Amino acid sequence: MKRRKVRRLMSILAITAMVATSAVGCGSNSSSSSQNSSGNTSASADSSSKVSRTGTATMTNEEIIKKAASEGKIGNWGLGNEYEVLALLGKYNLPTKYLSEDFTMDGFDNDSITLASAMTYNELGLVQNSYDGGYGYGNDIGIIDMNDEGVAMMEDNIFCTKDFAKKNPETVKAFLYASIKGWKDAIADPKAAAQTVYEAGSSVSQDHQNYMASEVAKLVTTDTKGNKVTDIGNMDDDAMQQTLDIAKKYVKLDDSSAQEKLQNTTLDDIRDKQYLEAAKNSDGKFSPEQKKVSIQLKWLPQAQFMGYYVAQAKGYYKDVGLTVKIVSGGGDISETTAVNNGQVDFGVTWETNLASADAGGMNLLEVAQIYQRSGLVLVYKPENFQK
Amino acid sequence: MADSVVYQKKIKRKKSLYSRIKESRKCQNILTVVLPILFGLLIFVLWQTKVLHAMMHTDTFTLPVPTRIAKLFGENMSDVLANMRSTVLVAFIGLIAGSIIGYLVAVIASIFPNMGKGGLNIIGAFASIPVIALAPVMNNWTRNISPDANTRSTVAKILVVMLIAAADMCLNAYRGLTELKPYSEDLMKTYAASGFTIFVKLRLPNSVPYIFTALKVSVPASIMTAIVSEYFAEYIIGVGREIRENIVLSQYSIAWVYISAACIIGIVSYIILMIIQSVALKRYH
Repeated sequence: MKRRKVRRLMSILAITAMVATSAVGCGSNSSSSSQNSSGNTSASADSSSKVSRTGTATMTNEEIIKKAASEGKIGNWGLGNEYEVLALLGKYNLPTKYLSEDFTMDGFDNDSITLASAMTYNELGLVQNSYDGGYGYGNDIGIIDMNDEGVAMMEDNIFCTKDFAKKNPETVKAFLYASIKGWKDAIADPKAAAQTVYEAGSSVSQDHQNYMASEVAKLVTTDTKGNKVTDIGNMDDDAMQQTLDIAKKYVKLDDSSAQEKLQNTTLDDIRDKQYLEAAKNSDGKFSPEQKKVSIQLKWLPQAQFMGYYVAQAKGYYKDVGLTVKIVSGGGDISETTAVNNGQVDFGVTWETNLASADAGGMNLLEVAQIYQRSGLVLVYKPENFQK
Repeated sequence: MADSVVYQKKIKRKKSLYSRIKESRKCQNILTVVLPILFGLLIFVLWQTKVLHAMMHTDTFTLPVPTRIAKLFGENMSDVLANMRSTVLVAFIGLIAGSIIGYLVAVIASIFPNMGKGGLNIIGAFASIPVIALAPVMNNWTRNISPDANTRSTVAKILVVMLIAAADMCLNAYRGLTELKPYSEDLMKTYAASGFTIFVKLRLPNSVPYIFTALKVSVPASIMTAIVSEYFAEYIIGVGREIRENIVLSQYSIAWVYISAACIIGIVSYIILMIIQSVALKRYH
């Protein structure tokens, strides 16, 4: 009996020893990391004490961008979202390097990224607000707006393949007519739109959905210069040309033939206004060639796409004779590929993605530009950028 | 009488060409090499002549022909090599460090066999954590390791690979250290061998083939892990990251260049492992 007890005790001891040793590998690393990090914090403490001695005024935008770039602490998600940031860095003659941001703002929170990318309708809200999932910084943060810096690029649009538009012009017109009607309603009452999206299966909390709806409404009704836009879906030549110019300068396609094709792309290659014009001038009666269509979103279901959800919920698609399936995106779903393969008929993407996809060999066509200004901003904590 | 003649004739009849080829050692050896190569060539020809595209209902845009991939590979050689270097470095360091740690843990477990088995279950559970879950955790962990983003990302990636490789090695090496030939341990005991001697003369040599069994799995696994963990790394470099980036931007031809780069890394490292194994085990036998 006694021996058994001793054995049991021994076995418990040995298991703890084993667990400890199995952690040795990680342990040695983490101990070195803590050494490094302690050295690191002392260094940063030094620099911050210098900062507080010299003054308290916040730097200008240019100085902030230069400082963050020299420290290599500018963040973006990459995957096609980075070109505005690259254009901004290019504007100030800085090297176009950035860190990869994940889909949280933790990097901004713990200062590993001091100048972080944020969409006004999504990450910015999480940083400022203190509802569930928010970081609660309130107005204690600084914002650099891409529109003000003159490097705005056109974001969420509606596109399909050139073949589809040619074969089903009535379907395209009907879809645009109903979608724009949905967007108009959504902008008139963002709160109700947020509720509709939330009920349709939202990826974020209701508070955040409300915030997002009101911010998206601003992007749809304001252009890059801050003027009011009433013509929803309008494809403004100047804004689109600016986007294309920036894309030509900063999109680097490794495939030389695609790169050449991109350089020769003009606005007429990637967008067609006739469907939108026809939709706007119509009386709402259509005879669509294809009655069942689907739209691929660029991201998870959220108020970023509220117009389509509202049109769906209020039956606007049904009124024009369409049955629409809204397909959620996210992560590695490439909306351009999905539309090009014919898995879905319409898609929401950014102009740059569409232009580079066309250069790579796809045949896509933008038929409406929903967002009229860039929703991308860079956020920073003022205390990191004191003179 | 007539019957037996027929019977003898039957026996004396020459073997058919087919069965002679089938039974010849030399031919078999040649066939094991030639058949896979022929199969590869067939795929290559089907691919190049676009028959493969027709069979799989795809186009040359999503699946470019091999000559085009090769051409683009050549054009972007320096970029591809830089990304390959990063991936190989992560996979290799992670594999070596992880395997050594895994082996040591297995040794400890074999010294205390009663609880060793239970401990190994825990490690087995560790091995089944998906890389997608581990990589962001490691990124957070190594946040303060270095002010240089490249260094801390590399460390985070190595840690993930290490964990996977360690678990693999540990489970296999433990079997090698404990599953001895029947009676061999008893025989050693009748010689009054000490525990240490049994360990050095019996357990260690017995585990050598098992090390290679583990490596055969963990070499490809560590490359795969390195590629996946690049998706989440802060610093943008590596074959995996380039594949993802280019697919999202619908640059399939370049994505295929990096996919073939990943294949090359995998195949070459497996060949190296096979050569080391044949040298090591020849000596061992």
